[in-house]
Amino acid sequence: MARSPILEPPLWVERRAARIADPVERLRFLRREMRRQPRQTHRWRAAGLIAGLVAMVAIVPLPTGTAETFAREKRLVAPAVETTPVDGAARVWLVDKSDSTELYSNGLRVDFTFAVSNRARGRFPIFSLTGGAEPREEGSKPVGIVYHTTESNLAPFAEQENRRLQRLGRGLMEWVRQDRSYHYVIDRFGRVYRVVKESDAANHVGNSIWADSRGVYVNLNDSFLGVSFEGQTGAVDEVTPAQVTAAKELTEMLRSRYGIATEDCVTHAQVSVNPQNMKIGEHTDWAGKFPFAGVGLPDNYSIPVASMYVFGFDYDSVFLRATGTRWRGLDLAELRVARQAGAEGLETPRYRAILQHRYKDIASALKEKSAEVNQ
Amino acid sequence: MNHASQSALGPAALGLDVGTSRIVIARRSEDDFRFESQLNAFVAIPYSKITEGVLEREKIPHTVQSGQIIVHGNESEKFAGLLNAETRRPMTGGVLDAKEPESLTMIREILTTMFAGHRAEKRQKVCFTVPAAPLNAGGSLTYHEATLRQILTDLNYEPVSINEGLAIVYSELESSNYTGIGISCGGGLCNVCLAYLSVPIISFSIPKAGDYIDTSAASITGERANRIRLTKEDSFHFNGFFADKVHQVLGVYYDDMIRSLVTALKDAFTGTSNLPKFNRPIPMVLSGGTALPPGFRDRFEKLLWEQEFPVTVSDIRLAQNPLHSTAKGALVCALSDS
Repeated sequence: MARSPILEPPLWVERRAARIADPVERLRFLRREMRRQPRQTHRWRAAGLIAGLVAMVAIVPLPTGTAETFAREKRLVAPAVETTPVDGAARVWLVDKSDSTELYSNGLRVDFTFAVSNRARGRFPIFSLTGGAEPREEGSKPVGIVYHTTESNLAPFAEQENRRLQRLGRGLMEWVRQDRSYHYVIDRFGRVYRVVKESDAANHVGNSIWADSRGVYVNLNDSFLGVSFEGQTGAVDEVTPAQVTAAKELTEMLRSRYGIATEDCVTHAQVSVNPQNMKIGEHTDWAGKFPFAGVGLPDNYSIPVASMYVFGFDYDSVFLRATGTRWRGLDLAELRVARQAGAEGLETPRYRAILQHRYKDIASALKEKSAEVNQ
Repeated sequence: MNHASQSALGPAALGLDVGTSRIVIARRSEDDFRFESQLNAFVAIPYSKITEGVLEREKIPHTVQSGQIIVHGNESEKFAGLLNAETRRPMTGGVLDAKEPESLTMIREILTTMFAGHRAEKRQKVCFTVPAAPLNAGGSLTYHEATLRQILTDLNYEPVSINEGLAIVYSELESSNYTGIGISCGGGLCNVCLAYLSVPIISFSIPKAGDYIDTSAASITGERANRIRLTKEDSFHFNGFFADKVHQVLGVYYDDMIRSLVTALKDAFTGTSNLPKFNRPIPMVLSGGTALPPGFRDRFEKLLWEQEFPVTVSDIRLAQNPLHSTAKGALVCALSDS
């Protein structure tokens, strides 16, 4: 393993480098300046630390872009929020319970064969729709549902394939349990399995964003429940009627239990983002054809995509191909960004860049917090 | 990058990623980077005049020697498939293969083919990648580096070398002032470099990478390693359950590779006393062909978070273009040297 001596450059080197836009010029500058830095003794390191502290107090805080972002954000007009009111979900109650199943009043039967614990659901931050990197409040109980597909191997849905269908389903459930991937999985025969306990977080959604009238949720593992259909995007038998019926019953139960609004019942493709390229739809399960009506929900593809209008995410042609029919929510989100940029007297790309800065600040803070918790 | 800055960059330069499975050249073109890649492999086929004529006509790179036709670069895979043979490689484990008799000839041929039509301006700078020394193991990289340097000098270039992991940092971590951890998961090795304001602080490699997965999976399934590699590149992903044996075995060895990498990272960073004090969490970038399967980043992240990693990491991301980022980083280095 190769190791180089410790280098502790003066603060101005880093600051000046950050102002150089051209990557090659920036690298050239840093390499030149870092070559000049001598290896420091402990005495000098201590002196440097004190000087650094003095400088930190005397000079404006360091992070580049952040100060400008906040300055602008303070002046931003709050985006107009077109919210769906929290509608009254049908009351569903637990009728009977055994060690292996639960029966609910709407006919839902939940199987615990593959039930497992994971880390307890943490308190999650809810950010303001109008700006700032500090959360406005914290939540503790699930606020929504994200629908997934397992993207696993499928056999044709036919009687002569019974054994294979069951074998694949069992294998899938073992894998999902091991990976703590979802709270619920609906197999191809419409059986509903609870995997991760509702009081725990499942590893279902990763980098993701959604918003409702209460605020903005970032990285939804703690704030949203994960429900997955055994299925594969684009497969001939993508979803069976039994799965749709079971999903409707499960959705009714969860909405009743947690008071979840219809606008917070969304698909993985609607919430998934890629922070690396600032595009939506890193995962594209249920990017199209989710049976909202069959599950007893309005067409939520019409809801403006939160990651676009809150944090300036974009989409590409690959994502559009995955959606099949273009969502109305994409157009509404774009319209909202353009309208908001106009109100601020900014070009849309500039306004979007400001929104993106805010996301990066929030994502970075969340990572830091998560690292602290893990330590 | 704008035109004004380009003019300040001096003569054109090249970035060259010499990997175990691929060689990639990066060039600067106006505001953009252009890449060209060839498989770092070859296959020998029996000589016949007709075959040679066809290869000439189709402009397929080849050489004739000792009664054989040797097809090299991208076309070698196709011919290996037709002949049901394994391709041979000039390199293994990230360095020139001492046991392969055609190693030097072939790598020279592949580079000559790639540079053809781009004859070097006088002493044009080319920055080529070299692996870091393996963690906790000996092994000299001097022969590998000196040989590549000699070949490039013969081709009229002015060669400089760069560590593979550092090239990832130069390619992907401009936004953090070239501070962070670059990881290149290639065919022969995984290369890691922690850089602080462009200066490499720690660099090392581990010998478990794409080839390890392919050969291990091949020995279990009885398939040819070539075929395993194609399956891996075409359809493997981490996000689902696989009923099929090859995918299941690939999953096992991928997992083993990632665990080894995470353990090596933890050991290397824990065991060093000269880490700089970072004033904020630092980013980590994954790159290389072995990092391509969907879900790789998530799996890596999950396993890393399970460890008590001594450096606070702000985010783990996949390189914008994992197959080209090493060459791009080498090019950025060459340009900044110009």
